Parts: sequence; structure tokens; C-alpha cells
Amino acid sequence: MSPAMRCAKLAAGILTAAGFVGLALHGIAAAETPAAARSTLKALPVPFDASARTPSDRTHLLQQYCSGCHNDKLKTAGMSVQQLDAARLGPDDATWEGILRRLSLGEMPPKGMPRPPKEQVADFTHWLAGSLDSLASASPNPGRATLRRMNRTEYGNAVRDLLGIDIDLSKDLPADDTGYGFDNIADVLTVSPTLMDRYITVADRVSHLATGLASRTPVSTDYKPVKDLFENAFGVPAYNERASDELPVDSRGGGSFKFYAPYDAIYTIQVYLNPGTQTETEIDADNRYEVKVPLKAGLRTIGASFPKRLALEQVLIPRSTKGPRTAIPTTVEQIPLDVQVDGVQVKELAIPSVAKGPNVAQAFYQRDVMQISLVGPYDVKGPGDTPSRRRIFICRPSASLPEAACARRIILSLARHAYRRPVTAADIAPLMKIYDQGRSGADFDHGIAAALEQLLVSPNFLFLRESDPSDSAPGSVHRISDIELATRLSFFLWSSIPDDQLLSAAERGRLHEPAVLKRQVGRMLADPKAWALTQNFAGQWLYLRRLEYQKPDKDAFPNFDQRLRAAMLTETQMFFNGIVRENRSVLDFLNADYTYVNQRLAEHYGIPGIYGTTFRKVGLDPALHRGGLLGQGAILTVTSYNDRTSVVLRGKWILENLLAAPPPPPPPNVPALDGAKNGKLLTVREQMELHRSNPVCASCHTKMDPLGFSLENYDAVGAWRAGYAGQKVDASAVLPDGTQFDGPQGLQGILLSHKDQFVQAFTQQLLTYGLGRGLEAYDMPAVRKISTAAAGNSYRMNTIIMGIVQSVPFGMRRTPQK
Amino acid sequence: MIITRKAMDRRTVLRGAGAALALPLLDAMTATNTRAAEAAAQSRLRLQVIYTPNGMMMQNFTPAQAGEGYAITPILKPLEPYREKFTVITGLAHKQAEALGDGGGDHGRSCGSYLTGVHVKKTQGADITSGPSMDQIVARQFGEATQISSLELGLDPPSLVGSCDTGYSCAYTNTLSWSTATTPLPITINPREVFERLFGNGDSLDAKSRLARLKQQASILDAVVEDARHLSGTMGADDRKKIDEYMQSIRDIERRIQKLEQGGADDVALPAYARPAGIPDSFVDYAHMMIDLQVLASQADITRVGTLMIGREVSGRSYPEIGVADAHHPLSHHGNDPEKIAKLTKINTLHMEQVAYYLKRMSETREGDGTLLDHTMLLAGASLGDSNRHDHRDLPVIVAGGLVRGNRHLVAPADTPMTNLMLSMMDRLGVQQDRLGDSTGRFAGLTA
Repeated sequence: MSPAMRCAKLAAGILTAAGFVGLALHGIAAAETPAAARSTLKALPVPFDASARTPSDRTHLLQQYCSGCHNDKLKTAGMSVQQLDAARLGPDDATWEGILRRLSLGEMPPKGMPRPPKEQVADFTHWLAGSLDSLASASPNPGRATLRRMNRTEYGNAVRDLLGIDIDLSKDLPADDTGYGFDNIADVLTVSPTLMDRYITVADRVSHLATGLASRTPVSTDYKPVKDLFENAFGVPAYNERASDELPVDSRGGGSFKFYAPYDAIYTIQVYLNPGTQTETEIDADNRYEVKVPLKAGLRTIGASFPKRLALEQVLIPRSTKGPRTAIPTTVEQIPLDVQVDGVQVKELAIPSVAKGPNVAQAFYQRDVMQISLVGPYDVKGPGDTPSRRRIFICRPSASLPEAACARRIILSLARHAYRRPVTAADIAPLMKIYDQGRSGADFDHGIAAALEQLLVSPNFLFLRESDPSDSAPGSVHRISDIELATRLSFFLWSSIPDDQLLSAAERGRLHEPAVLKRQVGRMLADPKAWALTQNFAGQWLYLRRLEYQKPDKDAFPNFDQRLRAAMLTETQMFFNGIVRENRSVLDFLNADYTYVNQRLAEHYGIPGIYGTTFRKVGLDPALHRGGLLGQGAILTVTSYNDRTSVVLRGKWILENLLAAPPPPPPPNVPALDGAKNGKLLTVREQMELHRSNPVCASCHTKMDPLGFSLENYDAVGAWRAGYAGQKVDASAVLPDGTQFDGPQGLQGILLSHKDQFVQAFTQQLLTYGLGRGLEAYDMPAVRKISTAAAGNSYRMNTIIMGIVQSVPFGMRRTPQK
Repeated sequence: MIITRKAMDRRTVLRGAGAALALPLLDAMTATNTRAAEAAAQSRLRLQVIYTPNGMMMQNFTPAQAGEGYAITPILKPLEPYREKFTVITGLAHKQAEALGDGGGDHGRSCGSYLTGVHVKKTQGADITSGPSMDQIVARQFGEATQISSLELGLDPPSLVGSCDTGYSCAYTNTLSWSTATTPLPITINPREVFERLFGNGDSLDAKSRLARLKQQASILDAVVEDARHLSGTMGADDRKKIDEYMQSIRDIERRIQKLEQGGADDVALPAYARPAGIPDSFVDYAHMMIDLQVLASQADITRVGTLMIGREVSGRSYPEIGVADAHHPLSHHGNDPEKIAKLTKINTLHMEQVAYYLKRMSETREGDGTLLDHTMLLAGASLGDSNRHDHRDLPVIVAGGLVRGNRHLVAPADTPMTNLMLSMMDRLGVQQDRLGDSTGRFAGLTA
């Protein structure tokens, strides 16, 4: 068979969706290098020359081993090397980056085709990376994202930081679309009439709530604690442990939530208990208990719980075969229900226990809280002294300060923070106009509320605006302003607007100075607001946001409940956050010898001696087979199906999220796994024989499946299992290049041997999140620079973050062509 | 509501600005003369669906005779004052709600197929599949003229537990409305949320404060559109597209505000209605409140399509106020126990009382030269017939309003698809459809 024919066959085998350069470098647009831009990326002679090889040697190597398939005629995978010349690298950097990638991963030339000796390949990739990097530093290309609006999370945080009002807006604003795995991608965040409608409604509500002018009509605010609800509640007792860190240490069940009281007033706290019926989803007034309390305006913590005590013991009467059955009358007991406000008990209510009848132990019907409602305000005293009012009203009209002047001062301050820049007369004028309108016929505070409402729907607030210098040539690059840098920084690390310190440093024009920048980043990472990085970046990179939607089969995993789900989430979040806060090595993600657990999670993992609901850091004994992300319940659960593990899902997850080497999508009409053959139960391994024997499948599955097989000792909810379907788990695996390994420890070894690939992959993810756009080929030099710096500093997290902050794409911008 | 000339002036200014930005001219802006507005009012038809769960005690529902002047039955008794306004139809079928090889789950299937006529996919997972529902097909057309395209309300909370009827996801019983085969529309059960969605953050509907509120909102929107214009001038082409999206969206909302200000061009003032605090304790108060809100939404022309689920399938609600302390669903499997049958009939009758309340409110609210009811098509009933057997072949149906003849009991030939009736209903509403789910043609006799 001629090379060309063999190529065509292989090409047919390789799915066309596997765009040659597209695998990890999303959406590389040919339009990125139009003719005019080419002029700014000069084709330099190769400056980097560590070995005795000449450019023509390298060109020859490429043609010899690659042009059999990748030529102008065949254009296998849409790529041809025929015109490439190692002496002139630019402007085809997208193609060269693709070549670098495939060679570094050992994926090209494909198996079965002649390969150059290893040292030649190593020299080639080393030279290529160095050349591309040199080119990039000579002519940096920072790329450009379109105008980006705040997403739902960022909007809520911005409102919190601007006005000191911390309320959950996730029900009021629609969910955002995602791209490249994140929901803060500029190109993907559109604006629709529905969204604007919601912004307007929210702005109205927030502006009035923050100024202390909310409606005075009593309304009911309902909170439902998360429960394991079953259609038939028989035999499912409420938990005999503390439901939240906000509730008393010796409490059981119940729930706690944050309520924003609009006024200093009286409110009724209503607690709905389980009716003890067959369906635990119904709530009714018969099982409602309430207490009237005065609350101060602002964010209050409301809790209801029972003191911990042994379940009510009553013996089930055995059915005797002779004589009449004696019935033991069931007496109703009074159980105390504690109601707390801000951690202090305000009332102890007496609740009757559920007495179903003489045959049924009350232990089956423990009382629990189904819903807490706050009704009010009643008997309003006034708007109170809330953090938001203090923040907004930095002055009050007085004899020495006329209203308009005070209003101006307030609006200037709010606008500066909301718009994240020094504000101009043109910014203030329309705000003062609406202030006047709101003031007339009402009062000063109403005027301020109107101005605030307008501020919150202004495009100056909603969009992260960046502008190009008016004198910049089309296609040229420039450093972004300090003001713009402050916004990029705060949305990266805090998912929110800059605070006063950051804004002031930017206004003084010093933020870009390395020492100042380093200090600010350090300060920001130490601030509690940096939890946003865990919640939003890790939440999406590690698929943690999917955990709440996972529904493990109740029959297969009867022990999987909401407490375990919540514990898994907390473990991985604390783990990620710990690496950030303590500036640890990112290799901990692969093989940390510690993790964070509470009693519930510890029991799940088989770690002895951990008591209580609070989380703590524990060292991991190697015998526990845990350590790093791939030993954590959250990751293992979201990479499984509801009723079983999936070798493919796990393998794919590792390739995508840890190694930035995602496999292409499967061909259509893949049949389901065949569970049995000739009446014999097949192991998962046997079922997936097809993946190995069919070459069309094998090209991708030989990379994915081994990774997943090595994790087969973890079931679909992350618990360790020695056997499955009546057979011992076989966690051995073989990589395409023949390397053998076994179990999670073996997998750790494999991943660590690819640690540079992992660090690059992690950097790519974090850089995507930080930039709010997908990465292109021209971003790879920045990624390599950051990874190299990290390698030189024990792979510390802070080094990567600082590397991103100081990188070309983060600190610079390209003026569009036209 | 009075048409203010002021509103039109602002509209003209924006049209000037719009031309400069090459924004499309929205049709609604040009219909400012009264004749056009009147014609619009005439064509303002509505569709309402009221749904009761767990079937019906058919022996006490179905009139003994067919044709006109039938004797009213116990369950239909509350509707008697309006007998000229509605037709009772029995014998219609939803064959797609039968098992057809899928085993148990009649409630999940019956609800999922009620307005779609489709055999829904038996799954508890993310791959739920039904079909577009009648109300959404109508909403797609009617919704172009209104602020909200449709209102989905209910009195039983949606369940988040995995399966609500053997093997069927709760998505199938949580709602009647599907905008596409895979998109169920959630229902709202909290009257306060409904009020806020319809009328914004105000405390009540008194015209003065509403108008003042709308005026302020309009001024704010004017100002931020100006902000956007300033920004746009400093941006590259890509960024300008984003700002344009923003401005388009704002203008969409301004158009709706203008509609609100203009009102129905017939000076109908909305009754002063206070914002509800939350869900009332009493079932009847709750039902009345939700119906009042639905009527208000029709009156203010905020929407022309609505569904109200008096209960979800397998509803376990008990009705102590009428002396029924037992849960509804177990009662519906009466096993021919006369005591259970009597209680079940009481529940069914109570539900019909709510339908009667709707007819009352709609017929006493004037619109143009008639009443709201004259311009409305109401479909009321259950997705199961005999609840004891989970019967899908003889469903209890009431069609009411000015578009149908009243005072008749029609008995459909055996196995007539209910979807045929829905096609005919849509015909009367001016919504052309060739088929719906398992329909085989039209249903004769709706207006004959």
C-alpha cells in the first residue's frame, strides 16, 4: 500500500472532528492573521541555535516524516507541511504550535508509521518551542476579547461590594451560557430582553433595599433546608447531627439561613415541621409553629433546630401467634424546638411528637424542619443602621451642606466604584437628573435610590469596558491602562469590582509596576473574597457545579445522601482553597498526602477516628489509597453515571482537565455496553473489548480507557471497593506506548511523569478563566513562559497566578483591524 | 389607562436615535391611532387551561343525556349558573397516555401528554422528551403582542424528588406546558412571585403610583440608552455589536412600558389589588387569589395564554374545609367504597367551584363591548377519566367562553383523540395547525 493510500485510510479512521490544531487550542481562527497583521509578525531567521542542526536539517526532517500525509494534495486533517520552512517560522504560528503539540505528546507520526529517533524529536521540539517563544517576545500578540458583561455571580458580588448588601440573586437572574468550560467568556455572554428585564427588576429592588426604602407591606420569605426527600418516608429518620455550623453544637436537624430584614421591625418566624405523612414533600399550616420577634434591619441569620437526644424509643409489638395482641398506648411527648436569631436563642417552642399508633415506634417519625418562613415587616420602626446605608450615605444634607451638593458627593462616590474608574461630568449629569426626578414629590433618600437604580442598569456598570488609545494603529498592541488592569485583576481573583485600595493604586498610575502589582495580588489572595477563585474557577474546572445534579441510584448506593454530597463538595473546595492560600505546589492536585474531611466523609473513605461535622485537614496514610483530586469523592462521583462507574468518563475527564489533551467526540450510533455474553456476566473490561479490537475506536480509547481502569476500585460515589459484580476489581492498565501501571498509585506515577504537561494544562485553564476568552495558538508562548517559571519555583500556585497577571495576554491588548 | 401624548414624543425622539444606529423599526411603535388600537382589541383572544388532578368520579360528572338542556350532575353543579357558556364533552381519549408497553406510570404519562398528545419517554433522567404543548403553540403566536407570552401557575409545589410516578421524572408531572419536546416550562405557585412578575416591585396596582413608577423607569431607560450611545462611539465593530444587543433589549422593554401606559385604549382601570404576602393557608383563598391574578393579567393584556394546575398528578392534598381529611390520591383509588366515592366527589366538586369562580370573574370584567369571557377560550378538566382504573379513554372535558356554544353535552365517538378537540380550539383562536400529537383531524360540533 502506498503511503498516500495508507494515509487516506488513516485519515478516514481519524475522525474529522479532530481538527489538527484544534484539540486543545480552541477555535483557532484563520482570520486571526489577516494580511495586515502579518506585517507586524515578522518572519525572523531562527535566532535560537543550541545544537549543530541547521534550519534546512529541520525542514528536511519535517518533510521526510510528515509530508507523506500532510501535503498540499491530501491535506490530511486540514494541514500541509509542504510549504513550511524552518528558517521562516512566522506567520504560520498556529500550524507550528499544532506541530509542536503533537510531537511533544508523541502522537505524531502515528503508530505504524516511520518515526525519527527520540533525540531528533526532542531536539526538534526544544528548538521549535524556543523559536516560537522568541518570536512572541519580539512581536507579542495579546489577542483581544470582545466587550464582556458581568455574569450573574459577578453581578451579585459587585452589588455586595458596592452596597454592602449580601443577598442571593441567583433566582432573580437567568443562568449564563458557558464557553471553553467557563461562564465568564466575553464572546458567549450576550444580552437579551429577558436579561435586561431582570436587571431592571433587580436594580429596582436592590436600590430600594440598600437605601432603606423597600416595601413596607408584609411578605413571606421561604427557606427550605436541603433534605433527602423520599416519596415514602417510612424508616428515614431525620439526622441526629448538627445540620449547619450556624446552629448550636448540641443540636440536631433543622436548618439555618440568611434573611435580609428590610426594616427595624417585628417579624414572624414560622417553622413548618414534617407532618409525618407518607410523602415528606407536603407542608401545611397544621404543623406550623411560630414566634414573633423584633429584628434589626440588615442581614440576619435565622435558625431552627432540635436539641440532640436519643430517638424516642418505643418497642415494636411483636405479632404473637396465640391470644390477643396487647396494645401499648402511644403517648405524645413534647419536644423542644429552638429558634435562633444571629446565633442567640430567642424562643423555645414545645412541639408534639408524631404518634402514629401503637404499632409504630416514634423513632420512625422524628420531627424535623421542612421550611422556615419569615413574614414581615410589621410595626416598622425605621430603616435602621445597616452597612449598606452607612456605605451609601457618606454625608447627610445639613445647614452647611445643601441637598444637591450632598447628593453629588454620594453619587460621585458610588459611580466611581460602580464604573470602576474616575468619573466625569458626563457620567454624573444623567445621574443627577434622575436624582432630581426621584427627589421631587418624595425626599432626599428617594432621589438617591433613583440614581442608584440607574447606576445598576447602566452599561458602564454592566460591561467591563476597555478602550484602545485613539492614536493606536490598527493591528498594533498596547499595554492596557492601570484602570483596566484593576478591573481585570479583581474579576480574576475576586469575581467582583475592585476595592478602594486597588482602584486608588490604579488611579495613581502605579498598578502595573511589578512591586506594586505583586503586593496587590498578594493582598487580594489573602482576602476572604479570594474564595471566589475556588467557587468559580475550581467549581467549573473540576466540574464541582455538577455535583448537585448527580443522582446516584438509591438502590445501588443507599448511603449516598445530602450530607455526603455536601461533604464531598466542601472537601474539594477546601483542598483547592488551601493550595491557593498556602501557596502550595499545584502538583498537590495530583498527589497530595493530605485532604480535608468531616466525620461523614471520613466514614465514607474509611478513615477512622474523625468525629463531628466540622472539617479538618488530615494526613493520608498510603494504605487508604487516597491523595490528590483523583481520590476525592466529588471528582469520582461527577465522572460516573448514576448507577455505575464509567471508565471512559473518567479517562476523558483526566485527558481534558488535567492534561489538556481532549479526545475527539465519538462516532454516532455507538451501541450500549453489552452486559452479558453467552449467559456470563462480563466485567467492564470485557465489555469494552470493542474499544481495543476495533481500530476506529482504538485510536482514542487506548488513551482514555487505561486511565479510567486504574480508578475502578472507586465506585460511582467514590467509595473504595475490592470487588464488583462478583469479581475482584482489576485495576491494571496499559498505555498506548506500552507503559503498564496499576491502581490509583500507578496512575499518580503516570501523571507525575507528565507533570509539565499537567502544569501547562492547568495554566491554560486558569488563563482562560482570567482572560474571559478561549486561548489561541499565539497564547501558547505565554503559557509556556508561566509553566517554566512555575517549574523553577516548585510549581507554586502563586507563581502561576503572578505569571498570568504579568503575562502578555493579561496586560496587553491588540487594536482591531477596523 | 390614558394614552399620553408624552409617551409618543419620547417615542419619536428614540426613533430619530434609532435611525442613526440603524436599529429596526418596531411595528408596535406605529400603531398609535385609535382605529388600529380598537381593531387590535377586537382580535385580542385568550386561551386558559384549568387542570384538576387524579381524574374525576365520572359517574357523578357525566350527564345522563347528551345534547342540549342536559340535567346537571353533582360535580357540574357549581357551574350551573354559567351553563349557557360552556359545553361538556365526554368520550375523548388520550391513547398516548396508555402504557403501550412501558408498564406503570399512568399519572406521569397522562400529565405529560395532556396538552401535547405525545407518548412521553419513560425516564427519570435528563433525557425527558414530550412534545410542544397546545398552550405554547398558541403562545408563540399570541405572545408577540404581549409583555409575557404565557403564564404557568399551580397550587401544588413542584416536586424535586427523582421520580413522581413509577419511572417517570417529576418534570412530567410538574407542568402541562412544553415549549419544545425537551423544554418543560416551570410553574409558579407563589402568588407574590406572580404579582411581581406581572406588575413589578410595587405594592399595589393603584394607577397613580404605577404610572409614577413607570415614568421613572422610562426615564432611567432613556438615560442608560444614552450612556450606551456614548460608549458605542468609542468602540470597535465587535464591541459595538454587544452594545447594540443591550440597546435593542432596552428598547424592547420600553415598547412594553409604552403598552402598559397606553393600556387597552378603552380606559379600563385595573382594580386596586394589593401585592399578596405569600401562599394563603386556605385552599379556596389560594385558588381564588391565583385566579384573580390570572384575570388581572388578562385584563391588563399582559398575557393572553395561561394554565392553572389546581393540583399535580398524585396530589396528596387533603381538604379538611369540606370534611375530607384523607389525601386525594389514595381516595381516587376508591375501590368502589361508597364512602370514598362520596369524599372524592366532594373534592372534584370543590375543584369545579374554582372553575366557576374563574367564569364568574371573567364574565363580570368588561372588555370592549363585551366581557373578558366573551373573548376567551377555556379548557377545564382532568387528564384521567375514571381515576380508579387510570382510564385514558373517557376524559372529563369542559370547553367554555364566547367562542363556543353553551348548554350542551357532547359525547364523542369512541377513541376520538382529545388532540382533535385541541386543533379545533386553536382554529377558533385563529392559530393554524395541521396536527398536534396524535390528532387525526378536527373535532366537529364545537361551534355547530
